[in-house]
Amino acid sequence: MKPVYLLFLALLPIAASAADDAGHDIMQKVNARPDGEQVRRDFTISTTDRRGVTRVEKTIAYRKYFGADKRTVMFYTEPTNVRGTGFLTFDYSAPTADDDQWLYLPALRKIRRISSSNRGDSFLGTDLSYEEIKKENKVEISDYRFTLLEETTCLERPGLLVEAIPVSDRIAEELGYSKVHYCIDPAIWMARHVEFWDIAGNHLKTISIDEVQEIDGVWTSVDLQVVNHKTQHRTRLQQDNIDYSVEIDDQVFTQPYLRRGLR
Amino acid sequence: MSASQFFGAVIRWRWPILILSLLCFLAIASQAPKLSKNTRSDAFIDPQDPALLDRDRVEALFNINDPIVVAVVNEAPGGIFNPQSLALVDWITRRLQQVDNIDPDQVTSLATEANIVGTEYGMEVEDFFATAPSTAARSEWMRNAIDNFPLYQGNLVGREGKTTLVVAELLDEDRAADTYEAVVDALQDAPLGAGDSLHVAGEGAVAGYLQSYIDNDAKRLNPLAAVIITVVLFVALRTLRGMLIPNLIVILTAGSTIGAMAAFGVNFYTITNGLIVCMIGIAVADSVHIFSQYYEEIALDPGAPAQVVTLRAMVKMWQPVTLTTFTTIAGFSALSATTTMPPVFYFGLFGALAVFLAWLYSMTTLPALLSLLKPKASRAFSHQSGKAASLSVSSRLLARLGDWVLRRPYTVAALGLVLAGVAGWGAFLVEANEERIANFKSSEPIYHADKTINALTDGTYHLDIMVESPDPEGLYQPQALRKIEQTQRYLEGLPHVGGTVSIVDYIKQMHKAVNEDQAAYYTIPDDPQLVAQLFLLYSASGDPTEFEDEIDSERRFALIRASVDENKYSNNKVLVPLVQQWLDESYAGTDLKATVTGDINVSYHWINPIVNTNLMSVLVCIAAVIVMSALLFRSGIAGAIVVVPVALSILLVYAVMGFAGVWLGVGTSMFASIAIGLGVDFAVHTTHSIRTLLAERSGSWEERLRPLFPTTGRAQLFNFLAISLGFSVLITSDVPPLIKFGSLVAVAVASAFFSALLLLPALALLIKPRFLSGGVE
Repeated sequence: MKPVYLLFLALLPIAASAADDAGHDIMQKVNARPDGEQVRRDFTISTTDRRGVTRVEKTIAYRKYFGADKRTVMFYTEPTNVRGTGFLTFDYSAPTADDDQWLYLPALRKIRRISSSNRGDSFLGTDLSYEEIKKENKVEISDYRFTLLEETTCLERPGLLVEAIPVSDRIAEELGYSKVHYCIDPAIWMARHVEFWDIAGNHLKTISIDEVQEIDGVWTSVDLQVVNHKTQHRTRLQQDNIDYSVEIDDQVFTQPYLRRGLR
Repeated sequence: MSASQFFGAVIRWRWPILILSLLCFLAIASQAPKLSKNTRSDAFIDPQDPALLDRDRVEALFNINDPIVVAVVNEAPGGIFNPQSLALVDWITRRLQQVDNIDPDQVTSLATEANIVGTEYGMEVEDFFATAPSTAARSEWMRNAIDNFPLYQGNLVGREGKTTLVVAELLDEDRAADTYEAVVDALQDAPLGAGDSLHVAGEGAVAGYLQSYIDNDAKRLNPLAAVIITVVLFVALRTLRGMLIPNLIVILTAGSTIGAMAAFGVNFYTITNGLIVCMIGIAVADSVHIFSQYYEEIALDPGAPAQVVTLRAMVKMWQPVTLTTFTTIAGFSALSATTTMPPVFYFGLFGALAVFLAWLYSMTTLPALLSLLKPKASRAFSHQSGKAASLSVSSRLLARLGDWVLRRPYTVAALGLVLAGVAGWGAFLVEANEERIANFKSSEPIYHADKTINALTDGTYHLDIMVESPDPEGLYQPQALRKIEQTQRYLEGLPHVGGTVSIVDYIKQMHKAVNEDQAAYYTIPDDPQLVAQLFLLYSASGDPTEFEDEIDSERRFALIRASVDENKYSNNKVLVPLVQQWLDESYAGTDLKATVTGDINVSYHWINPIVNTNLMSVLVCIAAVIVMSALLFRSGIAGAIVVVPVALSILLVYAVMGFAGVWLGVGTSMFASIAIGLGVDFAVHTTHSIRTLLAERSGSWEERLRPLFPTTGRAQLFNFLAISLGFSVLITSDVPPLIKFGSLVAVAVASAFFSALLLLPALALLIKPRFLSGGVE
């Protein structure tokens, strides 16, 4: 056992506040994990319903930081009937600012601005929320009180189990969770296995990152699975052709580019 | 072996028989705690019924379940669009999200839904409650928003704005009853504004209600029936043993029957409480006849020892008691054989078993016990041996009635004929109908909730049409969507259909929203790619399971839900065949397939055969009684005569139903068969006594038949009182079908008793059939 975990665990029985600090520090480390200034990648989104019927959608996505703000553009390539449909999103770092979101529907040949989604809303029909997609395996520290529970194993690797409780009922309702358990892999400071409970305390969903790769020095989740225990709906989010070193023109994150799309 | 030898053996082996009876009873009755209750409406349907299988398949495909619905009603001019009512909706939504077994993510109300509006630049998705509706202006904004959002009209919000629903889905539907109780508790503290009222409905609520009804009924009715019957036994027999031993036979019969039900995994249904009362009546009837004979034997020979008296009584009574057992078993078996409903099937089957067990215990345990007890005369029988002047009151009255009947057989027969005529007219007035909510008293909140919500919304019952395309994503094709739209318009034109919802409504709403909210775009797009992209757009903020009620994830199956305001057979029998015919014609020549389903369709398909086969069921029961009586008395005429009072009593039950406006439906369809099974006893006992009196006595037929009334008539009087008073206990039930069951069976038993006692001697005098006299004048 590495000394740093021994220290965390030794502090556990002493005082709750000390444990809170340990959990908080762990999540700070998770948030400090580099995720690349920009990235180009292909997503394969597979959603499976209760009956086991799977739909597969494929997209090309670009993401780039503009200071503390983040811009993302994503185009559908499959299935054919939605090919060219694009989403452009500006995520602002200021907590009070609503994100901006535009959509291009090729069949309509129009760009439509969509009012921002709630953080807890489902992302494009998947079992992940907008917040989880936006944070890319990180967490908004100010949303939760963290407690280090124990040293454990995450997906057969040594890990730290951190409990996160929303700081207020309002935040809990916004996110849709009353409790989250993050199992952090301290070797890469990434949550590999996350359990969620809904606002009434029912077991809601599990996210597990089955495969990670270090690409251009950035630890990246390449195969993530979510199971909703209430609806039995599942989502698999796979990434490939990941490139953190590619130069991405700022113009990519504009409405004209959204309209131009995949051409 | 003769009867005398048989009962001699029973008396000799009394201790082993008593121990064996007790052991058998304990072994079977010990299974009773395993019995599980089933109050769901589906329990009445054959699990293999195609309509039920179709509905289950559709419910699984579209994940349709039975939520608990809370309606906020405000019938003031502004309706629910005022700050207080809307705050109440918000409060209820949040409160329900905290109730155990309610899925907080599947509580739907104005407080959880968003308004989607197209603008010049794009699309605004704004939660209705993004800004708390604390002002009249915001409330008015919400009213306008709903007016422009057809998807919510008629279901989430009543079209006149007087009600809005909070719909809560359950995590585990098997716990619906407890959840309903928890919801009702949670709403006790609801901050009602001026004019606000709350109503709770839904299948969970209904099942929960019935379950507590059954428990309350079982706790009250069965002991009450036992007390009333004990009182009747006391009046009839006036001895302690006469009160206790028949009750013991009841306990042995009921315990063994319920234990057998549990052992075979048969559920305790809503109507099973009626079976218990039936069993009490059946078991007591056998005892009353045997005890009456037992006390007559003591009165005739006061010094005879217990074993002799018991033997004499059993030798005289085994035959009529066995005859009635056969005929009653025939009645219950015919009920089982002709029903399509599992609870009624088991009612008939275990009713027949109970009749057999009551007979078995009465033929073995009862004489074994009596032979152990020192004979003691009963005051009710002490002076009956010939001195008419000192007969008991009941015997004197019956003797007087007998004199009148025997003097005026033509008058009695004519009166019977007139009564049959009037009853026949009444029977024609019976209306075949069924409505599940009518199973509750109209004073119950659940009844009131159902009626209010259905009056103020499009309806809470569903007639569903599943449209199936041969290919995945086939439903993105505009022509398929137009067919669905056309089907919706057709359904909306039908009586009792308040509105319809399908995926087409969402597509049209999105099409309008991406086109600056122009009303002209509230249409199905011509481009299937645009349809697919609109779906994607909706999913941008929707739940992964957002559309699962409307379309499957392969886009092959779509569901059209028509909301119907009443689930009543008389409406459904018009609606369902009409829709089926329209679909057959309209979908012919397309590659789409349309299937009618939903609770309305299931109700129609399972009630239709019940109504249609009722007459057949009664005829089979009557035929069974005729055949059984003909065999037992070895005469075809006997069958025809025994059936007369039974048939008249059934006709009278239908007449009461016709005149009182009681529908012939699920529960009432079984009254006639049960009444035949119970009522035939009187005819068999009377016929058997007439034959015995004619054979044993001398003089004119009138003279020979005179003792019929104070002896057999008296035993039958108390038999009739025990059964009909036992069934009358059901009138105090909380479940209207059981109230009707109790009253109608009481009517049937009373009329069977009077018809048998009055008509049969009169007919015997008029016809003088050979099977009664054995050819001796």
